[in-house]
Amino acid sequence: MVNRQRWHGLVWAALLLLAPLRCGAAGDPARPTNPYEGKADAAEEGRGLLNQYCAHCHGPNAVQGERPRDLRRLRIRYGDNAISVFWITVHKGRMDKGMPVWGGVLPDDTLWRIYTFLESIQTQP
Amino acid sequence: MSRVSRNLLAGLGGVALAVSAASAMAQAGNEWGTYGGDYANTRYSTLNQIHTGNVNKLRVAWIRSLGSLESQQSTPLIINGTMYVTTSTGPKYVFALDAKTGAIKWKYEPDLPSDYFATVCCGLDNRGVAYSNGRIFVGRLDAKLVALDANTGKELWNVTVMDYKTGHAITSPPLVFKDLVVTGYAGGEYGVRGAVQAYKQATGELVWKTYTIPGPGEPGNDTWKGDSWKTGGGSTWYVGSYDPKLNLVYWGTSNAGPWGGQTRGNDSSNVLPYSNVYTASHIAFDADTGKIVWAYQATPADVWDFDGVNEGVLADLNLGGQKTPVLMKADRNGFFYVINRRSGKLLSAQPFVPVNWAKGVDMQTGMPIEDPTKRPQLGKWARNVCPNLIGGKNWEPMSYSMQTGLVYIPSFNMCMDIANKEEEYTPGKFYLASEFNLDMAGSSGTNLSEFMAWDPVASKKVCGVKEDLPFLGGAMSTAGNLVFYGNQHGELKAIDARNCNVLWKFTVGTGILQSPVTYTLDGKQYLAVVAGRTKGPPSFFGKIGQRVIDASPEGGMVVVFELGS
Repeated sequence: MVNRQRWHGLVWAALLLLAPLRCGAAGDPARPTNPYEGKADAAEEGRGLLNQYCAHCHGPNAVQGERPRDLRRLRIRYGDNAISVFWITVHKGRMDKGMPVWGGVLPDDTLWRIYTFLESIQTQP
Repeated sequence: MSRVSRNLLAGLGGVALAVSAASAMAQAGNEWGTYGGDYANTRYSTLNQIHTGNVNKLRVAWIRSLGSLESQQSTPLIINGTMYVTTSTGPKYVFALDAKTGAIKWKYEPDLPSDYFATVCCGLDNRGVAYSNGRIFVGRLDAKLVALDANTGKELWNVTVMDYKTGHAITSPPLVFKDLVVTGYAGGEYGVRGAVQAYKQATGELVWKTYTIPGPGEPGNDTWKGDSWKTGGGSTWYVGSYDPKLNLVYWGTSNAGPWGGQTRGNDSSNVLPYSNVYTASHIAFDADTGKIVWAYQATPADVWDFDGVNEGVLADLNLGGQKTPVLMKADRNGFFYVINRRSGKLLSAQPFVPVNWAKGVDMQTGMPIEDPTKRPQLGKWARNVCPNLIGGKNWEPMSYSMQTGLVYIPSFNMCMDIANKEEEYTPGKFYLASEFNLDMAGSSGTNLSEFMAWDPVASKKVCGVKEDLPFLGGAMSTAGNLVFYGNQHGELKAIDARNCNVLWKFTVGTGILQSPVTYTLDGKQYLAVVAGRTKGPPSFFGKIGQRVIDASPEGGMVVVFELGS
C-alpha cells in the first residue's frame, strides 16, 4: 500500500519545483519580468544608456533604418516573447551577427532601464 | 629613328610594362597597379582616350556580381589583363577576373571565424588587394594578412597580425615596395593600441613593427595620463603612401581611444601636456626600419573621433616659387593640410568645410586654436560641432590631378552634439565613453555633402557639386580633363575637371562608395567601378541614416564601361 503522507509530500514537492516555470517569476530567463515596467523616469534614463552603449549600431534613440537592427520592432517581430528574446540576446550576444555579449559587462539594472525605454517606443503594427 | 634605337625602345617598352605591373611607382595609365593609382595616392590616370568631348558616350561593357552585400569599398587592380577585386564581409571573396570579359579566372574564399562581426566597428569592409612580383596580398577582418599566388589564387602564407577578439581587424590593402608588405589595422573604437608592421613579401616573416602610441620610456609617452596609453587607439586602418627617393612610408592614425577623453588628459581645451601622441596624426616611418622620422598631429587630445587616417597624397607643389615635396591631407577634422613630406614642417592648414571646433591652426606650434565650447567634457555636451565625427572627409579617397593641379574631395556637410561619459574598458567591446547625436545637417545649406575641387596652393575651393545625401564615393581624375565619383543613389558621375560641370551620369542601382579606376586593354580605355550601398555608418545617423538606407538597396557588383560608337 502507498504511504499517503509521503505521496502528498511528493506531490507538493513537485508542485513547488514546477511553480516557478509555470508562473514566470522574476529571475527566470525564460520569462523575465521588468522591474521598471511602465516607469517613465526609468525609460528616460534608459534612453541615455541606450545612446551611450547601443546607439553606434542600433541608432540614436533607437531610430534605425536597417530593419534587422531596428529595436522598435521587437513587439512586431516577437510579440509577447519580445522580453525574453531581448533578455537572452543582450546576455548571450549573437556573435555571428555582430551583437556582442553584454551579460556580465553591463549590470542587469542598466539593461532593464534600456528595455523600459524600448518598450515605450515600439512601432505599432 | 635608327633600327637599333627602335628595337631598344620596343625592348624597353616590353620591360616597362612588366616593371609597371610590379612597381606602383609609375603613374596609373594602361594598368591600375595599386590602391591609390600610384605610391602617391593621386588616383590620377594619364589616359585621355575618354575625355570631356566623348564621355557622354560611355556605356556598360560588362557587369559581375560580387556575391556579397554590405558596404562595397574595393578598388580593383588591373594588371596584365587580370582584374583583382575583393568583396565585403571578410572579404567573402577575392576574385581574379579576365579584365576583358569579367570571366572568373580564380577565386579565394577565406575561412573566417563566424564571430568576428562583433569586433568590426563600422562596416564589414575590404578596400582591395596589393600586388607585387606575382603575389597578391590581402588583409582580413579577422586581422590576418594573407599572400596568394596571383596566377592561381592559392594561399602562400598567412600571418595573424593581431587578435581579432580584442577588437582588431584589417579593412584596407597593404602597401608593397622592395621586398616588404606593410599593413596597419583597425580597432580605435575598441581601445586597441595602433601599430604599422612590415613583413617579407616572400615569407610573411615580420621585419619591423612600430606602435603609433609610444610605450613607457619612449618619447611622447608622457603625453598620456597614467596608463591611458595602453588603450589609446591611434589605429592604422586605412592606407599608406610611399616616397621611394626619401625612403619614407607615410601612414595616418585614428582617433584617440576612448572617444570621451577625460581619462587621457585634462578634459579641457588646455590640452598640454596630454596631447596623446600620435593619435589623429600623420607619421613618416623609415621604410627599412619602421623608425618614426617625423609626425604631425592634427587633433591633439581628440574627443571628436577625428581619425587622422585619411590618405596622404604626395605631390611636388610650387609654393612661393619653390618646388616643394609635400604631403596633402583633407583631414576628418575639416582642415586641409599641406606638409613638407621630407621634414614634416607644416606649410598650410585651411578649412575645406565649415569648421567651428577650432578657429584656425597656429602655424608656429601646428596646434589648433580650439573653441572651448565645442569640446565635449565629462557630463558636458558640446552642441552643434562642425564637422561631425564622420568628418569633413572620411576614408573615401580624394584625387590630385596633374593636369589641373587641383584636388577633388568628396566632402560632408554635417554637424553634431557630443558629450563624454564614464565607461570602463572591456577587451573586445566598444570603448567609446561618449554619447552623440549625428542626426543634424551642416551649417551651410541643406545639402549633406559636396564634391569639390580644391586648390592646394591657394587653399581655396574652386568649384563643387552639392549633393543631397552624405557618403559620396571616392574620386578619380584623368588626363581627359575628367573627374569621376559616385553617390548613395548609385549614380556614377563624370565632371569637367576645370569647372565641375556634370558631363555624364549613369545609375548602377546601388550606392557607390569607392572611386572607379581606368585602364586599357588592346589599346582601348575602360572604366570600372565597384558598387554596393554603404552599411554600418547610416545606422547611427537616425533619420539622415534612414534616407541613405532608402536611397538604394544593398548590392555587390563590379561594372565596366567602354565608349560606345
